[in-house]
Amino acid sequence: MIIKRYGLLVCFLFLPILISAQTKISGKIIDSNGNALPGANIYIKNSYDGTTSKTDGTFSFKTTENGSAVLVASFVGYKKYENNVVLKKGELKIDIVLEEEITQMNAVVVSAGSFEASDEKKGVILKPLDVVTTGATADLYTSLNTLPGAQKIGETEGLFVRGGSAAESKTIIDEMIVQKPFSSSVPDIPSRGRFSPMMFKGTVFSTGGYSAQYGQALSSALILKTQDMPTQTISAINLMVFGLGGAHTQLWENSAVSVEGGYYNLNPYNNVFKQRVDWDKSPVGISGSANFRQKISKNGLLKAFVSYSKSDLSLYLPDLDNLPNKTFYGLKPENYYSNASYRDIWGDWNVFGGFSYSLDKDIINAAGNNIEQDQRLVQTKFTANKKIIGNAYLTFGAEVQNTLYDDTYNQFNRKLYETHTAGFVESDIYFTNDLAAKVGVRAEHSKILDKFNFAPRISFAYRLGTYDQLNFAYGRFYQTPEKNYLVQYNKFDYENADHYIANYQYLGEGQTFRVELYYKQYHNLVRGTVYNYPYFNLPVVPFSNNGNGYAKGVDVFWRDGASLQNCDYWVSYSFIDTKRIFSNYPSTAFPTFAAPHTFSVVFKRWFESISAFAALTYVHASGRPYFNPNNPEFLGDRGSSYNNLSLNISFIAKWFGGYSVIFFSIDNLPGFANVYGYRYSTDGKIVAPVVPPTLRSAFLGVFISIGETNQFQ
Amino acid sequence: MKSVLTFLIIVLCFVSINRADDAKYLAAMKKNFAQMDSMKTIDDMVDLTNAFLRIANAEKDKWLPYYYASQLCVLSSFTDSVKRKKDEYLDEADKFLAIADSLQPNESEIFVLKGFICQARLQVDPMSRYMKYGFQMNENFEKAIALDPTNPRPEYLKGVTLFYTPEQFGGGAKVAKPVLEASLKKFNEFIPKNDLMPHWGKQQVEDFLKQIP
Repeated sequence: MIIKRYGLLVCFLFLPILISAQTKISGKIIDSNGNALPGANIYIKNSYDGTTSKTDGTFSFKTTENGSAVLVASFVGYKKYENNVVLKKGELKIDIVLEEEITQMNAVVVSAGSFEASDEKKGVILKPLDVVTTGATADLYTSLNTLPGAQKIGETEGLFVRGGSAAESKTIIDEMIVQKPFSSSVPDIPSRGRFSPMMFKGTVFSTGGYSAQYGQALSSALILKTQDMPTQTISAINLMVFGLGGAHTQLWENSAVSVEGGYYNLNPYNNVFKQRVDWDKSPVGISGSANFRQKISKNGLLKAFVSYSKSDLSLYLPDLDNLPNKTFYGLKPENYYSNASYRDIWGDWNVFGGFSYSLDKDIINAAGNNIEQDQRLVQTKFTANKKIIGNAYLTFGAEVQNTLYDDTYNQFNRKLYETHTAGFVESDIYFTNDLAAKVGVRAEHSKILDKFNFAPRISFAYRLGTYDQLNFAYGRFYQTPEKNYLVQYNKFDYENADHYIANYQYLGEGQTFRVELYYKQYHNLVRGTVYNYPYFNLPVVPFSNNGNGYAKGVDVFWRDGASLQNCDYWVSYSFIDTKRIFSNYPSTAFPTFAAPHTFSVVFKRWFESISAFAALTYVHASGRPYFNPNNPEFLGDRGSSYNNLSLNISFIAKWFGGYSVIFFSIDNLPGFANVYGYRYSTDGKIVAPVVPPTLRSAFLGVFISIGETNQFQ
Repeated sequence: MKSVLTFLIIVLCFVSINRADDAKYLAAMKKNFAQMDSMKTIDDMVDLTNAFLRIANAEKDKWLPYYYASQLCVLSSFTDSVKRKKDEYLDEADKFLAIADSLQPNESEIFVLKGFICQARLQVDPMSRYMKYGFQMNENFEKAIALDPTNPRPEYLKGVTLFYTPEQFGGGAKVAKPVLEASLKKFNEFIPKNDLMPHWGKQQVEDFLKQIP
């Protein structure tokens, strides 16, 4: 009885001791390579007892829990560790090995051959803002020309990448192809890109080895993603030296509409800046665009974009065979582009569907000959993406492009109907966080060629350390011959190119270094003489797919935004060795659209005291070949080197409660006398240099925003 | 009668067990608060984040441990000098705050912290992140104010942002002053719902106001 009575008391007396019967748990936590993991959380499940591992990976804590329990260890980037333990008074020693969690977030990014600008993704070299603030003209393509791999070709528009012609590059907006990213131009005066760089939140400039999702470009793909929902209702007025424009964005809860319009007339400007061109009518034009965004569901976003532009220009070109006579050349280009796309997440699936329509019309008057060229393109496309077994993602899709080309030369008319069908499958595989591969295949069919093609693409990335990685890529790329050839001959085959790329990339804190080696082998390039091609005094080349060529070289890129305060600069260097026989080339030659050495520097500085942003861009390119009929070696002459230093300054001012930008730029500030090449008379006795339309050019624009609310008030 | 008594005893037992649990929870949280006041290095912050996460894992229905773990991640992000790590801490902060938000919907304090995360994201790369995060930050602060107009913290963080924004962009000490003063006024009147609710910011507002002439 007494024992019974006191037993209870004894129990109560000893209870605190029983409760505080502690277990000490200690050990070391490491990763599978044996490296210590400091900062990991080690604890007993469903209790507060635990600790954080120290710098050397060791840990030690006491727990009052008793009996069987679960020991948990968790650390960002690693799989959670759980282990059953029995807790009893005393010490428990446990060493823990955490396995790395393989996720897209932690894994190396496959980036052979491409430069990406994005605010959202990691492992990118540029920001969208860099694209907008580089070069003198706020033109997307001008800023891409400061990256290695792109050639500086002054006399015509387009992206000339690694020894490829402009036709070998394609521009893609929201997964949909743009038939003509530039409007047509008159001889030796390039036109600007048709789309404002401000429209895009992401840019991928691939100089080779791009994904199986895209095709029909032997050299390069420029993949652009437009902005999603705008953030506020805002109006803008743009005043420029040669024109004016306005824009308005209206935002509702789940939708938004933006419209933009502009008018330009270069006549007053061309009267002030001494022109080397004999203008009949300086360029005059209008342009307009509209954007629509609608949120359909949590992740579903519908985007639609429409753009239209029309211009009119004409000039007199010197007739070298009958000097001082001149030849009239007039051009009225009209361009319409629209696309609509929908992106959503359905369960595990990322889905995309899109539609685009391009209509490009040119009316040309060349020395009294009336030329009219109409091109229409209708494209539909879908893609779907899903995580499949393990750490592999599968993407597949298909597209159909219907093209109508209608070419009239005086009374002669030719039409071309093409249906291009393509499908692709691609997988992103993460073997470990340090080793990733992208393996894909693309199949295409052309109705006009009546042929299939089958293009494998593969690229690897291997992470060497926290900041650096190696990339490798191989791919085959097919392209249907250009329309001006297809209308002349009906037995063409696809042109193709094989790309081999290896690169080393260091992406540090504010510093980037990248060196890339490449080899590109061209097969089945189209040969033949067409009526509108230069060098018309050369022997006529019959139509065939007998052309070929190669390009090999090295591209180097260095960027440093960390060493100097408020400053950021990047340096690019490209070396290329390339030869090809194609088009009307009578023999294999170094093409006119490549320079062996290209070097450029972009330097930007932010001046806080005057809220101004200044950028200097210097480009040097060694001389390119040009055609001289007096030289028995075809394209045996090399021109002089090209130099350009341009400056742009943006002042930010606060007017009408919003931010306005005053943008000023000068191209070719020191006045380098650049010559792009030479033109000869048929007999080779008279020569005329091909030069930019002005020695220097300047631009002044004021962009006023109205109704913008201060983000911080 | 006996069964009623048994029932009452059982109920009482549960209540006392629950009370004991509550006391344990309160004690653990307060112990962490005390450490928060004295923490200095990132290691201290990581250690405390882990301590809050351990409580969060044991107390599945409580939002505050996640809230404080998230706040500590933001503070780690501000403290760490390595740029890529700053974003990694904020990814964690987002993750924990999302759990807190699901446990306690429409909580003003959670929206304050959402805005605070935006502010930290913005600070990593102000030039290119201004558009996106500046806007999101403001949206979150507005929501926080709408949910609880007496909460002094949205104004505190807005004032700090203004303080560090260059004058030509509509910021500066002068513009920040009235906002910080409004915040201080609210701090003086603000009574947290209980001891565990967020209570940070008053000292900092006073420090900022001392810097402004």
